[in-house]
Amino acid sequence: MIIAIPLLAAFLTPLIGRISGKARNTFVITSLAFVGFLVIILARDIFLNGLHVYTLGATEPIPAGYMVPIRIMLEVDSLSIFMGIITATISLIAVIYSFSFMKGETGHNRFYTLLLLLVAGMFGMEFTGDMFNLFVFLEIASISGAALVAFRIRFADSPEGGFKYIVISAISALMVLFAIGLFYAQYNLLNIGALAQAMQYTMLDKMALAILIAAFAIKLGTVPMHMWLPDTYSVAPASITAMLLVASQASMYALFRICFTLYGVTLNLATVGWIVIVLGLLSMFIGVTMAIRQTDLKRLIAYNCVCESGFILLGLGVGLAVLGNPGALATYGTMAISGGIFHMINHALFEGLLFLVAGAIFYRIGTRNLNEMGGLGHLMKFTSILFLLGALASSGIPPFNGFASKILIYESVYQFNPILAIIGILVSILTLAVFMKAFFSAFTGPVLPKYKAVREVPKSMMIGMATLAVIIVLFGLFPGLVREWLTDPAANALINQGAYIEGIMGVVP
Amino acid sequence: MLIGQSGFAFWNPIVWVIAFVVVMAIAFVFRSRGQKNYKKDTAQTKIFLSGEEVPEAEERHVRAGNVYWGFFETLKGYYSVILRPHTGIINDYIIWFIAIIAVIAIIIFIAGVV
Repeated sequence: MIIAIPLLAAFLTPLIGRISGKARNTFVITSLAFVGFLVIILARDIFLNGLHVYTLGATEPIPAGYMVPIRIMLEVDSLSIFMGIITATISLIAVIYSFSFMKGETGHNRFYTLLLLLVAGMFGMEFTGDMFNLFVFLEIASISGAALVAFRIRFADSPEGGFKYIVISAISALMVLFAIGLFYAQYNLLNIGALAQAMQYTMLDKMALAILIAAFAIKLGTVPMHMWLPDTYSVAPASITAMLLVASQASMYALFRICFTLYGVTLNLATVGWIVIVLGLLSMFIGVTMAIRQTDLKRLIAYNCVCESGFILLGLGVGLAVLGNPGALATYGTMAISGGIFHMINHALFEGLLFLVAGAIFYRIGTRNLNEMGGLGHLMKFTSILFLLGALASSGIPPFNGFASKILIYESVYQFNPILAIIGILVSILTLAVFMKAFFSAFTGPVLPKYKAVREVPKSMMIGMATLAVIIVLFGLFPGLVREWLTDPAANALINQGAYIEGIMGVVP
Repeated sequence: MLIGQSGFAFWNPIVWVIAFVVVMAIAFVFRSRGQKNYKKDTAQTKIFLSGEEVPEAEERHVRAGNVYWGFFETLKGYYSVILRPHTGIINDYIIWFIAIIAVIAIIIFIAGVV
């Protein structure tokens, strides 16, 4: 239902849009709110009763007379539903924000149809238990994402951004399909659980692993494959940029699902863990040093996204490196994974907020160029406070959510290798410098005469931004609850490869 | 709620917020003891630049392009290297992708199985 509703709603949206724009907007928001409600119910159920397996068109994952699953299957554990919560939250907020933000554009029916398809694609990637369907949903998310990036065709750089996104997405998806072909050629299997059980770690499996790591790493904008990300994020409508961020996180989820669940303990853990750590460190350092140079506000935030993704990779990479060492895993490995996962949701929240604020500024003054801004804090007080809040959260300043996840990463990573933690802290300091530059340039100083008539953005945009801000503050003030209910179960689900395999293969006679 | 009790750090956001409020309250007390008998809309509240004429608002504001000038000047060598691959050309991006697949594959093949 969580995947089917946005998919069905996507096809109904243009029909309802023909009746009236208001009816279409109500339909879209109701569909997404209902999906959000279903995600919460499912999350509660998974938290209480463990993972869920859905077999399409049957009651049992493995039909009678078969030893392996052959049907399309969805397998939702604590990590999948954690990703689902991020997707549901950001999608809902993005739609609320879009009502005002996209008012001046044409083709609303197409916009909301594509947006719902993107949502369906992301949920599909997060919930599927099947490698081929992972590819299919990756394609759905990529195509709709690219169309949304290029949606405001009146801007010269939008089609270019959309073109870059579709080329990168198509090539990475093609490589994912190639890797799936390598699995299928060897094992005659596509199901993740069944493949994980059968995995021999052959030469072809190693090749597939290298391809999959690179294919998903480019989708999440890991250095040195990150150059497309600022080109794309900066030109997409602000609400879509926030959603693209979640789509990138869905790719990150796929990367970790493959490393931890598909390969798991058969993997050369230290090597692959260090590959992820190095990619994370490069993303952190190059991301932040590129961000500090930018004068385009959205490009600045986009480079910061690259940097924050690095923190997540660092945490999860350390967890992966010690996955085969129970002592280290218990002492700090699980905390590193939990911190990385916590940072995923925080990243989506504060970067989402910053993109929405950047969109609000663009909505009012029509430029992203920081050199042309100044004194907006006098005119857009609420927006400036929200920007500051997002900036402080991103920089890991207490008591906001970014600090809560970063301290978990620092602490655990320090025990693995102190130098990594020191680099992390240095990068956080630079992140603060990045946002102080942006805040100083855009919001402080005297009111520029050309912006004297500027006022706050419409209510629906305010509501979208304020909701994110409230969640950021709450996650910062009550990180223990977030860990207990969301990130620790997700981390345990990622570590526990056996439970995921058992979800499908446990019923084999 | 506490997190991060590994022995290396301690964090309680509620305690932090209370401490922050106390510090802010102290700062407010100091501020409230400041000079209040100035005259609004007179020379006392105008910008003073050593007697020089105060520039227009647009000229007074330091623009983003000028912020951290020293930082970029010091790291000129680093940035000349790091900016080179950021060509904006999609072909170059794909070359990086292929190169990274090759590098990861070589590392995994060389490292072998544990």
